[in-house]
Amino acid sequence: MLAILLLLASHPSDLSEAEFQKLHASIVDSKTAAWRTIPWRTSLLDAQKDAAEQKKPLFIWAMDGHPLGCT
Amino acid sequence: MIDRASILADQRILAQLRADYIPVAIDQANQRRQKDTEGDFYRKIASQGPRNDFKNGTTQGFYLASPDGTLLAYTNHRGPDRMLRTLRSARAVEGAEPVKRERTDKRYAFTAPDGAAVVRVNGKVLGGYDEARGKYEAIMHSAISRDNLWITAAEQMALSQGSVPKSLQSRLLRYHLVDNTRGEPPMWRSGEVRSADLQLKDGLLTGRVRFATKSGDRTFDALLRGHLEFKGAKLTRFDLVASGTFKGEGRYTRNAPKKPFPYAVTFRLADMKDVADGVAPQAARGWLDGYLHPERN
Repeated sequence: MLAILLLLASHPSDLSEAEFQKLHASIVDSKTAAWRTIPWRTSLLDAQKDAAEQKKPLFIWAMDGHPLGCT
Repeated sequence: MIDRASILADQRILAQLRADYIPVAIDQANQRRQKDTEGDFYRKIASQGPRNDFKNGTTQGFYLASPDGTLLAYTNHRGPDRMLRTLRSARAVEGAEPVKRERTDKRYAFTAPDGAAVVRVNGKVLGGYDEARGKYEAIMHSAISRDNLWITAAEQMALSQGSVPKSLQSRLLRYHLVDNTRGEPPMWRSGEVRSADLQLKDGLLTGRVRFATKSGDRTFDALLRGHLEFKGAKLTRFDLVASGTFKGEGRYTRNAPKKPFPYAVTFRLADMKDVADGVAPQAARGWLDGYLHPERN
């Protein structure tokens, strides 16, 4: 009986509301992170148009997976 | 994610970017393959750099380029001081005209289907790492991953009526309950979903899911709990948590904790105020139909 109780305790069948609230509130990317304050474009040609018009160079952040949305 | 917490956390670099550059963020795995005007322009720039094998190798890094496509500098170095020196030294070639978009490769150029809900997905390893060796490893150990989940209008209607459609269940489980905190993750194959039991009643979504690769080198056993709300057939709340024990890593997500570790993924509706809300889900790139209908594959 004790073994069964221990097994049930180590493999809960339900995520509690308290655990849900705690995890949902704590695992979230910060809206105020510094890198998110940069006015990123996501289209290279749209950025090229702005760069040509404003006579500025492009800063291209090119990653495996989208830098703003993956990993 | 190391870039976000190193180079792109340096206020001197941020100020330089805002004042003197046009910043753009792209997935080079798409861009280098795109058979269209945008892909041509990217390859024109990248071909002048050290990573120019567009078929077989990554071209990732930071490129500084004139609007005419002249490469001014390339770096994949994560030291803020070095990046700052590079930024301060680059000068654009003047006289470029906007490039006219003549062709669009539809394999890569797509947005969320009409009426789809965009859900922000974040994952985090909650323990199990050895002590970090250096600041970059510490960044990795505390990283919160990002991705977007798309839920179609038809799927929202089904949810509002109390059922979880197979397409959404399969997409959510296989493509979003992954450990993407250290890089691009391997998605779960259909046969690797060993069991899945999701229940939706009165807006409360609960369940349990078990994943395991054939060899058992990567597993995830998680419980789910979430709250869904609707206005008519449209989602107005999609707050969900999947929490459990993960084991293993992928080819591009090396250096996971050596032993099984606690891992959780959270979901919430995007407010559509962030440019990242428009980025396609990682699993959709190059294969939108496969993302929307994983139950067929």
